[in-house]
Amino acid sequence: MEKNNKDYRLREVKCPAGFSWTNLRAELRAVWESNVKAWKIDLAYPVSFIRQLISPVVFMLPYLLYGLVLIGGRYSENLAQLVGTGDVVAFIFTGYIMMGFIGTAVWAMGFSMRREQWFGTLEAIYVTPASRLGQVLGMALHSTVHQGAGTIIQFIFIYATFGLALNVGGILPALGIFALMMFALYGFGIVISALSLILKEGWIVSDSFYSIMTILSPVAYPLIVLPTLAQQASIIFPTAPALIGMRSFLIENYVPEVVGNVFLHLSVLGAVWILFGVFVFHLTDRYVRKRGMLKKF
Amino acid sequence: MTQSVYEQSSFRSNFFVVWDELVKNMKFLMAYPIIFIFWAIFPIFWFIPFILQGEAFVGGLQSANFAQITGSGEYIPFIVIGAVLNSYVNTLLYGMGENIRREAYQGTLDYVFAAPCNKAYVLIGKALSESVSSTIFAASQLTISALLFGMNLTLGVMLPVFFIVILLILGLYGLSLVLAAFSLMYKQSHDVSETIGYIFYIFSPVRYPIESLPFWAQIIGKLIPLTYALIIVRSIMLLGTSFSAMYWEILALIIIDAVLMLAGFYMFNWMETKTKKSGAISHY
Repeated sequence: MEKNNKDYRLREVKCPAGFSWTNLRAELRAVWESNVKAWKIDLAYPVSFIRQLISPVVFMLPYLLYGLVLIGGRYSENLAQLVGTGDVVAFIFTGYIMMGFIGTAVWAMGFSMRREQWFGTLEAIYVTPASRLGQVLGMALHSTVHQGAGTIIQFIFIYATFGLALNVGGILPALGIFALMMFALYGFGIVISALSLILKEGWIVSDSFYSIMTILSPVAYPLIVLPTLAQQASIIFPTAPALIGMRSFLIENYVPEVVGNVFLHLSVLGAVWILFGVFVFHLTDRYVRKRGMLKKF
Repeated sequence: MTQSVYEQSSFRSNFFVVWDELVKNMKFLMAYPIIFIFWAIFPIFWFIPFILQGEAFVGGLQSANFAQITGSGEYIPFIVIGAVLNSYVNTLLYGMGENIRREAYQGTLDYVFAAPCNKAYVLIGKALSESVSSTIFAASQLTISALLFGMNLTLGVMLPVFFIVILLILGLYGLSLVLAAFSLMYKQSHDVSETIGYIFYIFSPVRYPIESLPFWAQIIGKLIPLTYALIIVRSIMLLGTSFSAMYWEILALIIIDAVLMLAGFYMFNWMETKTKKSGAISHY
């Protein structure tokens, strides 16, 4: 077909380039479409979808029941001495809601590129005129909403079964802390997704990071019970400061284990992790294309 | 000149089927040393939060309330034993279904089913390889935990424990066969495995004593082989109960094993015939 032919021109796709409003809109559209695609795949397997929705309850119950059996009730004297509040149900619930979101960063975002490779669509995505990060961010959006729905179910279950005494006035600032934490976790997720492009058995890296982050996050225990070195290491991940900050707003009489400005800490972590994540992703992206590694399993 | 399969004795040829399947799967495992090391060490990280939780809530290594329910106030060995035995559930339950699925991915499932041998021996080989690898991982986790948390492991205690682990494995074989049958027909048995895994995790005393569950949940728990295995092993290792004193629990475990094995073999044979007839065997 001739280039000056009318039909030929109709098939041309104008690709916005550079940092402009049009380009940003196009990239956001790509993120949205990637999110829609993830939802369609998710809803195509209803059993798996429902199972994943109830999994936050399933995995939190052992922490709760074990805690209740240990102390023979829901009030722990020792916990009250450590953090000012002894209500183990409120303490574990506010901690455990984070766990699923760690999974969002490590598993959903980290494996977004690898999943495309399994489906055989990674190369097709790579040649589309959009940022490859859009794929990862679309998955992040889908996974955050999915996990959010699971957390609401978790809240209803805990409220109906055990009852929850949370400070309602603290919900808004706690959500602010949560949003800042998610930014930092997104940066962390981008790093993992970059690693999964190089390391083909990347699930080991994801699982290892997940396990380490779980231990370093004060989900079911205060940070003070960790060895000093582990307490210091926990400040580089967003979950520990976010949990401490959220608990100070949500739980009455809670005494933060670490004193400091949580908002500032999380803002810095968010900026550092996102910049680091984009940098690593950019380097990895160039590396795998140069080496022709996209096709390799 | 090598003998054909038909010329060899039935026992010898079946033994080779089981042996070669075992060797093949072990070769797969050893080909990825990082995965091997991961399973031998990393599951310990999954139960460390429970130990730290205990320390934060109780302020020591003993819990009076825990002692009232379980007979022993030491919650660390309780958690370690629960985690190590539960690792068999993770590897056997997911492993068998995925093993069949892996043959399909690799394009070798048709050949395996066309081989002139009873498929039950292929499955026994697969199950044996999963058991060997699970036992290696469990032994490694138990040894590391014993060193880290100062647990006492003697031969006199470990021999009856080993026998109970074999009984647990037999029950899990039965369930795995059901999952393998699902995998043949419906391809994605992963969700069924995960759901069964959830039921085991919640209703069995993996992280907490079964007495802490509501009555209806205890009844469900008592239909699960892992429940009896955990009760027996903890009684022997933590309370020093003699093996013979646990005969009711052992008998219950044997009965559940027999039911699961029969159901497993029946389901697998039924699904195999069905998939062969429908041609679904080579579908993904």
